[in-house]
Amino acid sequence: MKNEEEASERPDNTAFTQQQLPAWQPVLSAGIIIPGFLIIGLAFLGIGIALFLTSQTIQVLEMDYTGVEKDSPCFRCTSPSNQTCTCEVTFSLSTLFTGPVFFYYGLSNYFQNFRKYGVSKDDYQLTGDTQYFKSPRDVCFPYAHDSKNNPIVPCGAIASSMFNDTFELYQIINGTKKKVPLDGKGISWWTDYNIKYRNPLPVNGSFASAFDGTVKPINWPKAAYELDLTDPNNNGFLNQDFLVWMRRAALPQFRKLYRRITEGDYATGLPAGNYSLTVYYNYPVLSFDGRKKVVFSNVSWMGGKNDFLGIAYLVVGSLCVVMSVVMLIVYAKFKFSDDDDA
Amino acid sequence: CFSSSAAAHIGVGISGQEGIQAVLASDYSFSQFRFLQRLLLVHGRWSYLRMCRFLCYFFYKNFAFTMVHFWFGFFCGFSAQTVYDQYFITLYNIVYTSLPVLAMGLFDQDVPEQRSLEYPKLYEPGQLNLLFNKREFFICIAQGIYTSVVLFFIPYGVLSHATQSNGVPLADYQTFAVTTATALVIVVSVQIALDTGYWTAINHFFIWGSLGTYFTILFAMHSSILFNIFPKQFHFLGSAHNTLGQPVVWLTIALATVICIAPVLAFRFLKLDLKPQLSDTVRYTQLVLQKKQKPCGRVGRGVGGG
Repeated sequence: MKNEEEASERPDNTAFTQQQLPAWQPVLSAGIIIPGFLIIGLAFLGIGIALFLTSQTIQVLEMDYTGVEKDSPCFRCTSPSNQTCTCEVTFSLSTLFTGPVFFYYGLSNYFQNFRKYGVSKDDYQLTGDTQYFKSPRDVCFPYAHDSKNNPIVPCGAIASSMFNDTFELYQIINGTKKKVPLDGKGISWWTDYNIKYRNPLPVNGSFASAFDGTVKPINWPKAAYELDLTDPNNNGFLNQDFLVWMRRAALPQFRKLYRRITEGDYATGLPAGNYSLTVYYNYPVLSFDGRKKVVFSNVSWMGGKNDFLGIAYLVVGSLCVVMSVVMLIVYAKFKFSDDDDA
Repeated sequence: CFSSSAAAHIGVGISGQEGIQAVLASDYSFSQFRFLQRLLLVHGRWSYLRMCRFLCYFFYKNFAFTMVHFWFGFFCGFSAQTVYDQYFITLYNIVYTSLPVLAMGLFDQDVPEQRSLEYPKLYEPGQLNLLFNKREFFICIAQGIYTSVVLFFIPYGVLSHATQSNGVPLADYQTFAVTTATALVIVVSVQIALDTGYWTAINHFFIWGSLGTYFTILFAMHSSILFNIFPKQFHFLGSAHNTLGQPVVWLTIALATVICIAPVLAFRFLKLDLKPQLSDTVRYTQLVLQKKQKPCGRVGRGVGGG
């Protein structure tokens, strides 16, 4: 009987309960760490050189057109007026700007990442749910209803602050202006255009009727269903410029893609010469000390010009190589001094 | 006898013929006085080691996670905009980083039990409070803050001017969030891999499983299925595919990982070389012994059997 009692009270003798599970016990040995640092350092140096050289081949042209200085071409547009002001920015290219050329507009001191700004939109409206057209969500306040209490579609601060400067680019050849065709298709994310944002279904065959009983955002010149009357696939909430704007930026200085230059005579790039950029200046930024600029850039496999990544990789790679040498010296000194003592 | 148990760190009772009153009042109890040696030198020492490593890692990973918002505040108008997706914040401590550190806290051993009994001097760090004191705590916090600086400013430096190869800029909020979150999970996972000294199958499963779970949940939450059911909740649609398909993003994550982990590795290696603790020496000799014993053991058995 005593043996049975002993057997029933004996603790488990498995590897798990006795903490004797088979295990790998790594040790930071010199044979792994020092070559490891060297390999990582050399790999990073190689990647850094590739990135830096690629980045150097990318051409970028930035022009601030806010019109802060009195002698800048858009200065007369900075005083507020109700009419659209047009100004012309001229620039010249000394060499061929290799295509395809991407045309961005940039804003600075513009906090699209502000929390209250970022939540101020109605996701249900933007999926075409007309139930929310008449009653926008509360987070859109104060951009949910106008002064006569009509519901605004699309509501919210992000939509209301949509960038509405437009641009036309001309090359000046022998004194005449030749228009450079700008392509605005597919500048937004595929998932935004195809899944996330959906237009409401037309009512009685008319797309505009789906918006009956609502008003456009106060700052918009045209309603959502008039954003692009020439192309029904670019109208309403599927308008590419609208989608690009709604994808809010992470940082106060940002660029957004406006158009691509890929067609006609300019498919291979912008040849050297004089150019004139006509700006339809609508968007006021000086009240909060913001700046507007246009950027022309071409891309490579790693995207646009990005010196930071290349330089960071070079710095980290060389530090790793230096560290591996230092560790080797320390290890050798320690090991041999230890052997000498023994 | 009750007051002495109350004044000490732990109370140990011996159950025996004088009754079990001491057992009821104590934290640990056993039946023979000689078991006290194992309680202190093996289990007590391991428990101290595990607790200290667990605490240091826990503070580190939470500081690395949270301080990113502090740095982001300077760039978002101090509006309390989170850097990460809301669901990532919810799941970070519960799902993505809880199990590896739990496994380390349960199974870690620096030195096997036989060596713990052979070298009683290994018990000293516990008595002298060497493994987790004010200095060690500040080092853990400082490492967390350094990691948060790297995890914010490296994506900030890279993504602010980066574009995809089709020209679409990468500087949008959702790309930034996914990049920073992925870099964070990878860095803290590599750190727990460095901290774990005793890799059982359970440790492997928890560490690799947590990383795999992160990517699974990330792609699931950014998929169209969940978006179509709850458009307001899952508005990060498409971010995972878009972001993690860019080579620039992976280069950023690799860079951030190396900048965070390489100093730790170098520091630990140098400390091991220049100022090894007794546990390091015992562990090293134990492992060297194990490697030598394996082929000798097989030969020995063959000779013994024959």
